[in-house]
Amino acid sequence: MTFVFWSVALLLVAGPIGALVSRRAAAEFAYRACVSAALVLGAVPAVRVLAGGSVASRTLATPMPGGPWVFGLDALSALFLLIALGVGTAAAWFGVAYLHRGVTARAARTSHFFLSTLLAAVAALVVARAAVPFLIAWELMALASYGAIVLDHGQAGVRRAGLLYLAATHTGTLLLFVLFAAWGAGAPDLTFAALGGRTLDPAARAIVLGAALIAFGFKAGVVPLHFWLPEAHSAAPSHISAVMSGVVIKMGIYGLLRVSLLMGALPAWWGWALLALGGVSGVLGVVWALAQHDLKRLLAFHSVENIGIILLGIGVGALGVAYGHPAVAALGFAGAALHTMNHALFKSLLFLGAGSVVHATGTRELERMGGLARRMPVTALTFLIGSAAIVGLPPLNGFVSEWLIARSMFGAGLSASPARVAVLGVGVLGLIGALALACFAKVFGAVFLGRPRDASVVVAGESAAGITRPMAVLAAACVAVGLLPGVVTPPVLRAGALVAGHANPVVPAAASDPAAMAATWFTLGLGGALLLLWGVVRSGWARTPWAAATTWGCGYGLPTARMQYTASSFAAPLLGAYRGMTGVRVVRTDASLATHVADPVLDAVVTPGWNRLQEAARRIRPLHRGRLSIYLMYVVAALLAMLTYLMLAGRGA
Amino acid sequence: MTGHTDWRALVAVAMVLLIAPAIPGIATKTKSVLTGRRGAPVLQGYRDLAKLVRKGRVYSDVSTWVFRAGPVVVVASLVLALLMLPLDGRSAPLHFAGDVVAFAGALALGRFALVLSGLDTGSSFEGMGASREVTIASFAEPVLFLCFAALVLATGHLSLNGAVGPAIGAAWPRDTASLVLVALALFVLLLAENARVPVDDPATHLELTMVHEVIVLDHSGPDLALVLYGSALKLTLFAALLVCVVVPRAALRAWTAPVAVAAGVAVVAVLVGVVESAMARLRLTRVPQLIVGAGALALFGIILLLR
Repeated sequence: MTFVFWSVALLLVAGPIGALVSRRAAAEFAYRACVSAALVLGAVPAVRVLAGGSVASRTLATPMPGGPWVFGLDALSALFLLIALGVGTAAAWFGVAYLHRGVTARAARTSHFFLSTLLAAVAALVVARAAVPFLIAWELMALASYGAIVLDHGQAGVRRAGLLYLAATHTGTLLLFVLFAAWGAGAPDLTFAALGGRTLDPAARAIVLGAALIAFGFKAGVVPLHFWLPEAHSAAPSHISAVMSGVVIKMGIYGLLRVSLLMGALPAWWGWALLALGGVSGVLGVVWALAQHDLKRLLAFHSVENIGIILLGIGVGALGVAYGHPAVAALGFAGAALHTMNHALFKSLLFLGAGSVVHATGTRELERMGGLARRMPVTALTFLIGSAAIVGLPPLNGFVSEWLIARSMFGAGLSASPARVAVLGVGVLGLIGALALACFAKVFGAVFLGRPRDASVVVAGESAAGITRPMAVLAAACVAVGLLPGVVTPPVLRAGALVAGHANPVVPAAASDPAAMAATWFTLGLGGALLLLWGVVRSGWARTPWAAATTWGCGYGLPTARMQYTASSFAAPLLGAYRGMTGVRVVRTDASLATHVADPVLDAVVTPGWNRLQEAARRIRPLHRGRLSIYLMYVVAALLAMLTYLMLAGRGA
Repeated sequence: MTGHTDWRALVAVAMVLLIAPAIPGIATKTKSVLTGRRGAPVLQGYRDLAKLVRKGRVYSDVSTWVFRAGPVVVVASLVLALLMLPLDGRSAPLHFAGDVVAFAGALALGRFALVLSGLDTGSSFEGMGASREVTIASFAEPVLFLCFAALVLATGHLSLNGAVGPAIGAAWPRDTASLVLVALALFVLLLAENARVPVDDPATHLELTMVHEVIVLDHSGPDLALVLYGSALKLTLFAALLVCVVVPRAALRAWTAPVAVAAGVAVVAVLVGVVESAMARLRLTRVPQLIVGAGALALFGIILLLR
C-alpha cells in the first residue's frame, strides 16, 4: 500500500516539477521519469495482488465527517491501477513528443500537469475504500481531465466540448452523492466496509443501484448518456483522448464493478438492465461509428461500442450472482474486466495512431487520406494491430476477452434458471464484432491503403521515434495478451471471482482455467502459423519473378486517386440497412454530395432540452441584479427560511 | 490440447484439405448437367491451381505488403478453423471450451485480410466488393453465433468438439426440430458466406454484380491460386460443418467417419448446384432479408431449446 501512496505522490509532483525546472528538456525528462517511476511503484504491488498475494489495506483517521479514510488494494483495484498507470505512462511519453509541435512550451507544460494530476486522481480513486476520498478523487479526476481536454481553448468547438463534458460529469457526481447518501443512511460511517455490511430493503437498493447505473453510466459513456463522449474525445489532444478512452471512462466500469462487489446480493433486474444497456450501446455505438468520417470521432464512438461489450459481461456476471451461478458470474465479470484492460490497450493505441496521422497530415478527415501505409510504416503496422485487436480477431487481445464473455453467456444458457435467456447475447456479440470489422476495414483502408486523396497527405512522413515508440509498446502488449490467454486469464478470473462474491479460499479454484491454457495453444498456433507462412511465402517471392503495373481498371490505364472507393461509399450499404438510427443527413446538389452526421441523442434530445431549460430560466433571471446588497439579502432570507423550517419541524417532532 | 489428439483426426483434416478444390467443381458440374450443358470437368479446380502456381505475379504499384499478406492469412485462418471440426466424430485436433468463438474469429480474420488486400489496390471495383463483403458478413456473423448457441444448448458442450461431435447423436432425437432449423440456417449461411446463388453468382464476370470475385481482381499467379484455394476451402469448411451437424458419426468407425464427411460434403455441393440451377441471384438489397430470415430460423431453434 505504501508503494501506491508513493506512486500517487510522484504523479502529483510530476506536473509542478515542470514549472520549477526552466530548461525544457530537463523538465520533460523529470516529468517522464516521475510518471515512469510511478508506474513501477504502482505495478509492483498490483502484480503481486493479481498473482494471488495478500490484499493490502491502510486506514487513515481523519477529523472529517464520513469516518476514517480507508485505502485498499484488492485484485479489482490492482487491475484498474495497472490499466491506468500503464496506459497513462505510454500517453505521457507520447504527449511530450506530440506537444513539441503546434503549441507553446507553456501550454505543453500545463497539459503535462493536468495529465499527471489526472493519473494521480485515478490511482487514488481505485484504491479508495471510503466515500469521502472516493468522491474527492472522482472530482479531481473530472477537473483534471477537463483541463487536459481544453488545451486548444482558442477554438469554440473545444470550449463547447469541455463545457458539455463538465455538465455531464457533474450530473454524474451529483448522483454519486445521492448514491452514498441513500446507501450510507443508518451506517456508522461512510467506509465501503460499512456500506457493504448493510442489508438494504429492495426500495433503497433500487435507489442505490439506479443512481450507480446513471452516475457511472455517464462516466462510461453508456447510450443514451454517451453524448458528451465523442465531443470531448475529438476535441482533446490525441494522447489525452487515449487516456480519456483508455482510463477515465473505465472508471465508470470500475464503479459499476465495485458497487456490484459491495452490494453482494444483486437483484436480477440490475443484470437484465446492464445486459440491455450493453447490447444497445454496443450495436448503436458501432453503427454510429460507421457513419463518421472524422477519424477521432469515429474512434470515440467505438469506445461507446466497447463499453457496451463490457456491460454485456457485467450483466451476465450480475445475472450469475442473482440466480446463483458462481462460475458464470466469475466468468462474466472476468470477461468484462479483461475487456476493460484490452480496450484500454488497443483504444489508446488507436488514438495515439490517430494522433500520429493527424500530426503528419494536419487533417482528421477520412476522405482526404489514403496511402499512408507507404509513408508511415510504423504507424500503419501498429494501427493495423490495434484495428485487428478491437475487432476481436485472434490471435490478439480483443479476442480473448470476447471469448471469455461469450463463454459466460453460453454458461448462462446451459443453466436451469431464467438467466439462460442471456445466451441470446452471443448473437449481439457476433453482430457487434462483424460491424466493427466493417468499420475498421473502412478506417484502415481509407487512411493507410490506396492512394493519397489530398496533397497534404502526399507529403506526410513517419512521425518521430518519441511518437511511434509508445505505440509500438502498446501494440506489443496487445499481441502478448492475445498470444497468452493462459497467463492473463487466471488474474482476471481472480478479480471476477472477487466481484462475484466468492469467499477467499474459493478464489484459487475459480482462477484455474484449463480452457485458457488450451486457448493459448490455439492463439500461439495461429500466431506461429501466420509467421511461418509469411516466411515461406516471402522466401518464395524472393525467387519467383513479379512485375509492377497499374491497378486493374477494366482496361482503363490511368486511374487517379479520385476514382477510389471512398470511406463513405464503403459504409453506405451498411448504413442503408440501419437508416433512421444513424443520424446521417445527405446533402446533394447536381455536382456534389456531402454527408453530415448528427448525434441522435445530443442533437435531438440534449440540446433542445437545454434550450428549453434556458428558456424557463429566463423567468427567474430578473432576480439577478448584479448588486451585492441584493445577494446578501437573498442569503439572509434563505437563512431565515431555513430557521423557520427547523423551528416548525422541531415543534412537529 | 494437441497432445491427446488421435493422429487419424489429422489425417481426416488432410483429406479435406486435399478434396477442397473439387467441391466447387461438383457444384458447377451439377449446375451444368441440370441446365443441359456438359460443363467443365469436376477436377478443373486442380488444373487451374497448378497453372496459376507456375505463373508469375503482377502487383499494382499502389499496393503494399498488406496486399501480399492477404491470401496467406486467408488460407491459414481457414485451415485453423478446419482443425476445430471433429471430422472423425470423436475429437478435433484443436479444441477448448468456447472454441466456437475461435472458429468464427478465424473466419473473421480471413475476411479482414481479404477485404484489406482488396482495398490496398485503390480500385473502385475492389472497394465496392470489399464493402459488399463486409455488409453481407455483418448480417451472417450473428446468425452463425446463434447457430452455435443453439448447438451448445442442444448438446451441453461449449466446444465444437463435443457440440458437433459425439454429443450431437444424442441431441437429434431429443431436439429434432431445433437442429433441423439450425441446419437450414447453416445452409443459407453457406450460400451467403461463399458468395453462391442467390447471394452472388460465381459464374458472372461483370464486376458490378460481384462480391467475392471482384475483391481479387488484382491478384495474379500464386496469389490468385491461394485465394481460389481459399474460397474452395471455405465452401468445403461450411459444408463439412453442416455435415457434422446433420450426420452423427460417433457410432461410425474412425476410418469411415471422415469418408462419410467427405461424401456428405459432396452431397452438399450437389445441393448448392441444384439451388443455383433453380434460382436466380437476388438483388443485393434483398440479401440481408434472406440472411435475417436464416437468423430467425436459428433464433426460433434457440427458443425451442429454452422452453
